[in-house]
Amino acid sequence: MQAVLTQEKSIYLQIAEMIENDILREVLLEEEQAPSTNELARVYAINPATAAKGVNLLVDEGILYKKRGIGMFVMAGAKEKIRRKRRESFYQDYVARLLEEARSLGISREELIQMIAGQDKEG
Amino acid sequence: MAREERRTPDIRQGLTGRGIVKRYGKKEVLHGIDLALEPGKIYGLIGRNGAGKTTLLSLLSAQNPLTAGEVLLGGEPVWENILAMSCICFSRELNPSGEAGTAAMKVGQYLDTAAAYFPHWDREMESRLLAHFQLERREKLAKLSKGMLSMVTIITAMASKAPYTFLDEPAAGLDVIAREEFYRMLLEEYAATGRTFVISTHIIDEAAAVLEETIILKDGEILVKENTEELVSSCVYISGREEEVRKAAQGLRVYHWEAVGRSVGCMVWLREGEELPSDCAIQVQPVSLQKIFAALCQEGGEAQ
Repeated sequence: MQAVLTQEKSIYLQIAEMIENDILREVLLEEEQAPSTNELARVYAINPATAAKGVNLLVDEGILYKKRGIGMFVMAGAKEKIRRKRRESFYQDYVARLLEEARSLGISREELIQMIAGQDKEG
Repeated sequence: MAREERRTPDIRQGLTGRGIVKRYGKKEVLHGIDLALEPGKIYGLIGRNGAGKTTLLSLLSAQNPLTAGEVLLGGEPVWENILAMSCICFSRELNPSGEAGTAAMKVGQYLDTAAAYFPHWDREMESRLLAHFQLERREKLAKLSKGMLSMVTIITAMASKAPYTFLDEPAAGLDVIAREEFYRMLLEEYAATGRTFVISTHIIDEAAAVLEETIILKDGEILVKENTEELVSSCVYISGREEEVRKAAQGLRVYHWEAVGRSVGCMVWLREGEELPSDCAIQVQPVSLQKIFAALCQEGGEAQ
């Protein structure tokens, strides 16, 4: 948590994404309690209805679940589910944009592959 | 003699204005406004100077007589109805050079006067906020800075505990840290009580995330009343070569058309179900609430 909100994207989507990031990075563990709508509203200074919209999106996707009277919890298997979903959109979100920018800069496929291979060696 | 008994209004039914008209002399400021405020929401009221925001809030809180129309709380008329009025707090912007009576008052006197109207006035909260803002009850309003006057109006609004609370330009004069504090305080109070708030402001983007609904007032009429999130996500700025932008924008609601060299740009407000065509070579960018407001309220309004 504690990332900064931007104006590039709907706030509720950013809230959902930040919770997902915390699950991916194991800041939030499965079967652990997730931050409440009011906590999110307070920390990010946003309307609780917006925070609730973000949380409910994750409930609909089976990433969080509600324990009545207690709050929201991370579903078992949530991490794997987020991983799978993000892998599916990885091409659209990252690769396609990379290729488009490379094309308009006249960077060839071979050069690109070299860059990625080189980067990999360094890292 | 049959005298009509006033009942305590059912605040859960909301505050409703119907056909609100207000004239000052020959000048008509509001031209027949219909507005329903639901309980438990934070509304933002935005509009240019002179759009009628303060007038509208004063009419909804029965501080100012209507020329025509009615305001009802839980179905009961609000005008001269002490039970209804005690449920609605309009914390006006304080102006020390303005009304002579107020300027001579001390902070404590001003708060006591307000407290007399509201049966659930919270003294504990009043002193907590006074201490927080480092204000003294014995200070004269006339001696306070604009920011400190805003703090007095914020204390009045918060401590009133009124189920319907209107704040007129609470952010005016506050520095950036005090503004952030104010919005956090507002959200905390809202989370704890579910009171309805209407906030008017010119510093729109700072407030946007806090406002569940946005009401845009233009020339004495309501131009927009929408869920803020939905409004912002239905507006986009598109730009590119003129023929491409024209093709993309065809049949859509277009605002603020502008040319930058060979490229043109405009804001598009998509209706429900509408989408931008995918076969146009255009750039699509999100727009902030402030930009949307500026595009909608600009002279000329809808372009093309």
